[in-house]
Order: sequence, then structure tokens, then C-alpha cells
Amino acid sequence: MRLRLSDRQVGILFMLPLLVTAAAFIVWPVAEAIRLAFYRYNPLRPDDLIWVGLDNFERILDDPLFWDSFRQALVWTGWSILFQTVLGVGLALLLHTALPGIAIFRGLLLFPYIVPTVVIALNWRWIFNSEIGIVNHALLRLGVISDNIAWLSTPDMAMASAILLNVWKYTPFVIICVLARLQTIPTELYDAAKVDGAGAVRRFLDITLPMLKEVLVVVIVFRTIWTFNKFEEIYLLTRGGPGTSTFNLAVYAFEEGMANLRLGVAAATGVIMIALLLAGTIVYVRVSGFGREEKPA
Amino acid sequence: MTASTRLSATRRRLLQGAGGAALAAGLAAPAIAQGGPRVARVWGEPGPYGGVFVQGMNEWAQRNNANIRFEVEQIPWDGVTVKLTTDLAARRPPALISVESPIAYQLAAEGLLEPVDDVNTAIRAKERLIEGFTLEQFGGWKGTNYAVPVHHQPCLLVVQQDIIDELGLGNPAQWTWEEFANAARTITEKKPGLAGYTMALGRNLCADYQITQLIWQAGGMTWDPADQFKTVFDSPATVEAFEFIRRLNAYMPRAAIEFSFLQVVDQHVTGRTAMSAYWGRTMGRAAEEAKPIFERMEYYLNPAHPRTGGRWSWTDINGWIIPARDNPFIREVKEAVAYVSNSVDWMVRYSQSLMPNVGPVFKDVASAPAMLAHPFYQTKKRTLDVIFERSVPHACNTGLELKKGVNPLAGIAHGSSVWAQAVQRMLLNNEAPKAAVEWGHRQFESIRRDNRRLIGG
Amino acid sequence: MSAREIAGRTALYAVLAAVTVLVCFPLIWAFFTSMKPKEEIFLWPPTLWPETWTLENYRALLEGRDAYFQAGAASGTAVPPSAFFLDWFVNSLIVTTGTTVISTAVSTLAAYSLTRFRFPGQRAVPYLALVGYMVPSIIFVFPMFLVMVEFRLTDTLLSLILGYVCITLPFCMWLMWAFFRGVPIEIEEAALVDGASRLRVFWEIVLPTAWPGIVAAAIFTLIVSWNDYLFGRVFMNSMENLPLTVGVMHFFDGTHVDWGLMMASSVLMTVPMALLFMLLQRHLVAGFGAGAVKG
Repeated sequence: MRLRLSDRQVGILFMLPLLVTAAAFIVWPVAEAIRLAFYRYNPLRPDDLIWVGLDNFERILDDPLFWDSFRQALVWTGWSILFQTVLGVGLALLLHTALPGIAIFRGLLLFPYIVPTVVIALNWRWIFNSEIGIVNHALLRLGVISDNIAWLSTPDMAMASAILLNVWKYTPFVIICVLARLQTIPTELYDAAKVDGAGAVRRFLDITLPMLKEVLVVVIVFRTIWTFNKFEEIYLLTRGGPGTSTFNLAVYAFEEGMANLRLGVAAATGVIMIALLLAGTIVYVRVSGFGREEKPA
Repeated sequence: MTASTRLSATRRRLLQGAGGAALAAGLAAPAIAQGGPRVARVWGEPGPYGGVFVQGMNEWAQRNNANIRFEVEQIPWDGVTVKLTTDLAARRPPALISVESPIAYQLAAEGLLEPVDDVNTAIRAKERLIEGFTLEQFGGWKGTNYAVPVHHQPCLLVVQQDIIDELGLGNPAQWTWEEFANAARTITEKKPGLAGYTMALGRNLCADYQITQLIWQAGGMTWDPADQFKTVFDSPATVEAFEFIRRLNAYMPRAAIEFSFLQVVDQHVTGRTAMSAYWGRTMGRAAEEAKPIFERMEYYLNPAHPRTGGRWSWTDINGWIIPARDNPFIREVKEAVAYVSNSVDWMVRYSQSLMPNVGPVFKDVASAPAMLAHPFYQTKKRTLDVIFERSVPHACNTGLELKKGVNPLAGIAHGSSVWAQAVQRMLLNNEAPKAAVEWGHRQFESIRRDNRRLIGG
Repeated sequence: MSAREIAGRTALYAVLAAVTVLVCFPLIWAFFTSMKPKEEIFLWPPTLWPETWTLENYRALLEGRDAYFQAGAASGTAVPPSAFFLDWFVNSLIVTTGTTVISTAVSTLAAYSLTRFRFPGQRAVPYLALVGYMVPSIIFVFPMFLVMVEFRLTDTLLSLILGYVCITLPFCMWLMWAFFRGVPIEIEEAALVDGASRLRVFWEIVLPTAWPGIVAAAIFTLIVSWNDYLFGRVFMNSMENLPLTVGVMHFFDGTHVDWGLMMASSVLMTVPMALLFMLLQRHLVAGFGAGAVKG
């Protein structure tokens, strides 16, 4: 027997798993999150769900910690993105050169992207420990510093350490994207420029950078949105401390939900994050022109 | 177990892993698993506390053919509240919990716990309790007891005696705050590379505990259970304690501002501080890892406040609590807990499983020959007396401030470490002590307002 | 090669080597620490190279629980967390495999359907996927958890698989959509004209060409589900059901960290991903280039 499905049937059949999964495990939870934002819900008492209207939002907007978290998230995101982009492009250019053995370096430098955050955060807590960590010890021995650096115990340094961790882990993502683009730039362009007598700097500014512009804009927007909402890197490295100096909105939401037992407030924070995210997405769609050419290639 | 049997066990396990890895969970315990006993989960505090007790419970299960296996689950450092919250929200609580007192009080007031007066009667808890403790202090709420006493842990002054003697700093047992702070200063000045004093100041439970004991010593408290749980945090006594912490901070390691339990112990055991605030575990770890430190380590009651004379110690007055809802094991758990608690043998083994961190709460256990046979009694008798007995009159905690009554609000405030946050505002943001205290007062007041239903009516 | 070129190359290598060492240092440190006996771990001043090499930490992790249950009854010790390491490892393997299979399969089918057939709402799907792609897991985790409570799925590996599918599906969807848009349709049409059925065309012609895209989506899913901590922390509770990332946190017990075990687990957690990564690195660059970051 031969089963012959019409195109329409195949189309629907292929879409079905996506629709079911998305409805049950994406749309429902998001709807649930939005609904919860209007309730008081203490997870210790799962049976009491109390409608409170906009109270949760008022509470958040009145909470200085929310605004601190917001400001800190901007600092954390801004510096992370700056370093990731600069280092990412720089390293990608280095890795793009045709040297023997470059593949090994490429593999090793992309490596941090796959290391579990748990592993790296705990490692860092140890090697950056101001008293018994090897980083301070090495710097002291080399004479770079004369006194232990309190990597994780002053607000500024803790933020810097968290940013450093984020840069360490996600610069490879930028490298991957930039490398992918670099590999599509025709070498003839460079040859022509060389013939015209353009130096390395000129060639970078005139050829490479314009070619990378498009991919960089996309990568920056993506990384900005993700970094802004990152939870694990901060939580596992500093738990938002010292004080609340490395809180971002994600840590704020988690602490409200789990430590303060206010899941409603956590959900409301989530709703605010979704709103910010939609704004970010609109920016992305604008700058990338995504979806403008709608014909199948 | 010898090395060779161990090796062969390893090999078997590896083969099994290769052959049927997915089955591993089902094959977990062939020795006990015959007939497929039901598994009842038991939470111990972070650390290996619960293990020995739970073995005792399993002995009960075997002798009574209860077809049940108790399994201890350690709560990791990152997960006390998260685990509690998610398990209760998921309506699948553990069968039995040992958790720090303030959280136990909170759960009792929430009405989430099973009354255990019957167990306490069966083990004659009231008669056996060490002088100075009452049943209510372990987890009583409105006349009902929800906790079966299991151990107590006081936070005290840990010193390296050789340094104190060498610098001629006097007898720590007789120190007031003044002499204590001066000693810390002298050490910092005379011993480069060594901190005078170490306590936790990070945004965590440990800092909450160590900060509040100073507040009580000065005569302050957070809420007053004797007066409708009014928020009384913004007293001059609290401000004085904050000022004292700021003074001490100059003699602490700079990273103390992010220290928690682990870092304080690390600091002491690696010989980087001459004194610290801690529970018994510092001595236990020193004995395991740093013999020379252990040999010169002594515990003292906390230095007295010069005016009040207070030497209060944040003491975990720890009892077993039993979740009442969605718990299919209540009857078995009660019987097994009674079985182990009634056995002096098991209780001694439990106390000794982490010497000297789990202080015995029953007289017969504290004075049992087996207990006194522990090698620590040879060299550290004075210190053990301080930890196990002489600290008891000074024992209270954030849920039982100044022993004025149980207060369920503390557990909630610990969720976001309000005490530690207030101190951090002073130390990190350079707020005046008074301003930082007032900030804390507002947080505590809002916690009280939000949770009126817990304390009212 | 001129002297200048040689100097340039040497400088380039030097820079690359320095950067690589710095970047890899935390992992080098983890590796050497995992090979040290307990007494050496806290040596001061710290050393990198172990004086005595030992596999003790690895043995403790790989021994499994049986050994402890057998020994436990006799010696009166509690089961240490390290005895659960194999369980955690297997859990993570199951969860990661399950998530990867579901996410890539569902997204491949849907993406093909979206780029080859017409139906209402078609244009909106990639947009929605894009939004879903950026929703952070912290927003999903609590409501997902409550949904799992409704289904009585908490503390099961299935709940983790579903959770990870939910956070990886949008990206896979988008990546595969972008990929299929770039696959020429002519060969398929020729085959259809020749009388092959749609399913057969999909199986025999489309899938093989889509392979690089599928691999890229799979790697992404693997990385996310192997490395996640948040969902594991919130969804799972029983010791034997934890994924690796949450389990290894038990090597911190509040007053003591077993850094030897911690570092050995770090190595064991990183190795499978590293091997996969080495094998599939090229596809990742190609796949991301084609899909994720296509302007």
C-alpha cells in the first residue's frame, strides 16, 4: 500500500508537532506568567491565589532595588557588549589568517562557549578569591600589584569580575559569527586593494569593516538582549552581591520569587522584562531589515 | 571495606553503567531494594548532618518490616529556600526536615507542619532536655509543639590561643566588647598577614546570624513578640551594634563583606585569622585538615557587652519537623524518629558524626560514656563544655530573640538577608549606622505588614 | 619568506598563544587540581603542577552508589554526594539527548513546511520564533514549573526535557527556517515532477541537504541543555534525579568545599561537550553563518 498525502496534508502534518509543543510549553507558560503578575502567590501555600490587580507592578516601580537592578543591568550589558565586540572582531581577524596550525587555536579559543556556566563560575570564585586565589598570588609575584585585589568584594570589582566572566564565555559567540562572515568575503577585493597600494589598516577600514557591519549589528542586538537578561553568570558568581551591587532584573525576579516568596512580583518583573524585550526586538527588526525580502531564495 | 573489594565494586558499577546506564536509578540499592520499599525523603541541613540519624531510622524500618527506606537528601548551599519553596509548591514535600530554627518557626506558623506532641511524649523529651532548653524553643507555636529536639549549635568566639598568649591579650573568657576589639586591633597591627577577627558580612544567612547576636548583646532586637511583634529594630542598641561592627571591620579581611559560612571557616582553618565567629564546625574541619591550628584552637562565650553584660549567641535550636500536607509517611516517620531519639547509642553517634558541631540536647546523651569517649574530650574538654553546656543560657536566635518568644517573621526576613543588607549599606555605601538601621527597620516593618496573617489572631 | 614576514608570523603566534593560555587557564587549573591529592589542594603558595598525581577524585565520582550502600550498612556513614555523580551524568545524557532529538525534529519539520507550503499566518511564525528566541529562561521558569506541577511532572527528567525544548525550540525553528530558505527548490520540484511523493522527496533529497543546518541546531540545543542550571535547580529535587549542573553544587556543604571533586567533575562535565565541539566545530561556523546571523 502506498500512502499518498497531498501537499496540504503534509504541510499541516509537519507543522502539527510545533504547534502542539509551542502551545503547551511556550504559550501557556507565558500566559501563566502574565496572569500571575496580577496575583499574590506564595509558593509555600500553593492553594491561596489572591487577585491584587496592579499591586505587584506598583510595588516593583516603588522598589529602589528594582531601579538599582535596572541601572546595574545597563552597566553590565554595556561593558560586556563593548568588550565582546572589540575582542571578538580582533580575535576573529587573527583566527582568519591562513597560518599553519590555526585550526587548533580556533578550537581552543571557541572553547569557553561550551563550558557549563556552573563549572566556570565556581572555578572563578576560587581562582579570583582575594585571599587564597591564584590570580592575586600570580599578580603579586609578578609585581603587577602590591596588595590583594578584592575581586568579588567591592561593588565595582564584583561588577567588573562578572563582566569579565561574561566576556570570557560569550566572546566566542561573536568570533563564530564574524568568522562565518569573513569566510564569505572574496579575497579578490583584498588583492585589488593591495594592487592599489592600500595598507593593512586601510584594507580593514575600507573592505573588512563595511562587510562586517551587517553581521555586527545583528550580533550586538542579540547579545544585548541576552546579556541584559542573563541570570546564571551573575547568580552563580556573586549571587547579586556584595550588597545588591550586581543585581540585574533576572536576579531580582529570582530573589523575589524564591527568597521572598512573592511569585506574583517575580512574574510582574518578568512581564516588564518581556515589554523591554519586545522593544529590543522591534529595534532588531528595523536595523536588520529582517523579513523584508519575503521570497524563498 | 578493603581497597580490593572497593575496586571490584567500582568495576562492577562501571560495567553496569556501560551496559544499562538508564537502569541505574532502579538498581540503586540491591541490598535493601528487595520487595521495592517505598522511599521517604529526609532533608538534613547543608552538610552531612542527617546521615547517621537516618541510618537509625532505617534500622527501625528493617526491624519493623515497614517496607520503607529513608533516604537523606543534603540541601546544597545554594538551595535551602529554593528547595523548600519548590517542593512545597509542587505538593511533594520531604517526609521529614531538619532545618534552621527560624524557618521551622515560619513553617509552623504557616500551619504546614504536623504536631509532634505525641512523639515528644514517647521519648520523654521534656524530662531529658538539657537544663536551659524548653520544648517550645525547638518549634512551638500557640501552645502546640511542631519539632522533636535533635541538636543545638551555638555561634561563639573561636580563637587561636597561642597568638592571644603571645601578645598578652588577657583571658578571652573575661573580655568585654572593648577588650575584644582592642585585641583584634593589636593582632592586626602586630601580625601582618593575619586578620584580627573574621565574621561573615555577605548577603547571606551566616552574616544575618552573626550580626544579630551583636545586636542582642547590646540589648536590641528586631521584633518584640511580647508586644504584638512590633518592629523595634531602630533602637539605639542596634545602632551601637552597627557602630561596633564598623569598628571590627577594620580588623577583618577585606573580603569579609562577601563572606558566608564557608569563607569564615576557610579563613580560620587556613590560618589567616586569629579569631572568628563560628559554630563548632571550624574545630571539626581544623581537626581534619590542619592539626597545628586545631591544637591551639579554643572556643569562648561571646565577649560581654560592657553595659548589658549580654553574651547572646545565635544558636540553632534544631528539631525535626514533619510537613503535614501531601506527606504519606507521617506515621512511619514519627515512629522512626521516636525510635532513634530513644536510643542513646544512636544519638551519641549522631552527635559525634560532626564533632563538635551538633551539640546533644538530651542529658543522657551528653553524659553517656560513649559520648565522653570521643578523643576531643582528651584535649579540648573546656571548649566542648563551652559549646555544649555553658553556651545554653545565652542561646537564642532570630526567631527567638532574647528568648522572649517564638517569632515566625524571621524566616521570611532571612530569605533576603535583611540584617546583612542593612550592615552592607553601612559598610559598602558608607551610610551612617543610624540611616542603615532605619533602612532595615523599614524592611522589617514591611515584612511584618505583609505577613500579619501569620502573627495575628 | 622574508625576515619581516617571519617576525610577523612569530609575533602573531606569540599573541595567539598568550591569548589561548589566558583563555584556557581556568580549565587548565581545573584539570591539574583534579589530579591532586587532598593535602596539596590548599598548599600555599599555590602550585599548578601536582607533586603527586592521583586519580582518587575520579574514582570517587565514578564509583557509583552501590559501593556505598554495601559499605554504608556496615560502616555507618551517610551516602556522600559524590556517589550520585554517575546518576547525574546519566540524567544529563538522557535529558540532553531527548531535548536535542525533539527540538531538531520538530523544528526541521515545521521549517520545511513553512518554506514550501502556503497557509494563513505563515509570515508571522518566524517573527514569533524570533521573539521566543529572546525570551530569557528566568521568565519561563516559574510558570513552567507551575505547569509541571499541574501535570505532576516535577522532579522527573521529562519535565527538564520539556523545559529545554521550550527554550531551544524557537532558535532551532528560526535557524532551520533560514536554512531551508537558502536551499534551492529546483531539485525537489524535478523529483516531484518525476512522480516521487512529497514524503520521499523530504526524506531522500531535502534532509541530506539540510544536514549542516540540523547539526548547527543540534549543537545549540546540546549546549543549552547540558549547561543549564536554572531549570534543573527549580524543577528537580531528589538527589538521584538531578542533572550534573545542579548535582555538583552538593560538593559545597556550607562549611567545606571539596575542590578536588569539584574540579574533577568540571573536567568530566566539559569533556563530552568538548569532544563534540571538536568534531562539529566547522558545522557550527557554517550553520550559524547561514542561519542565526543572516542579516
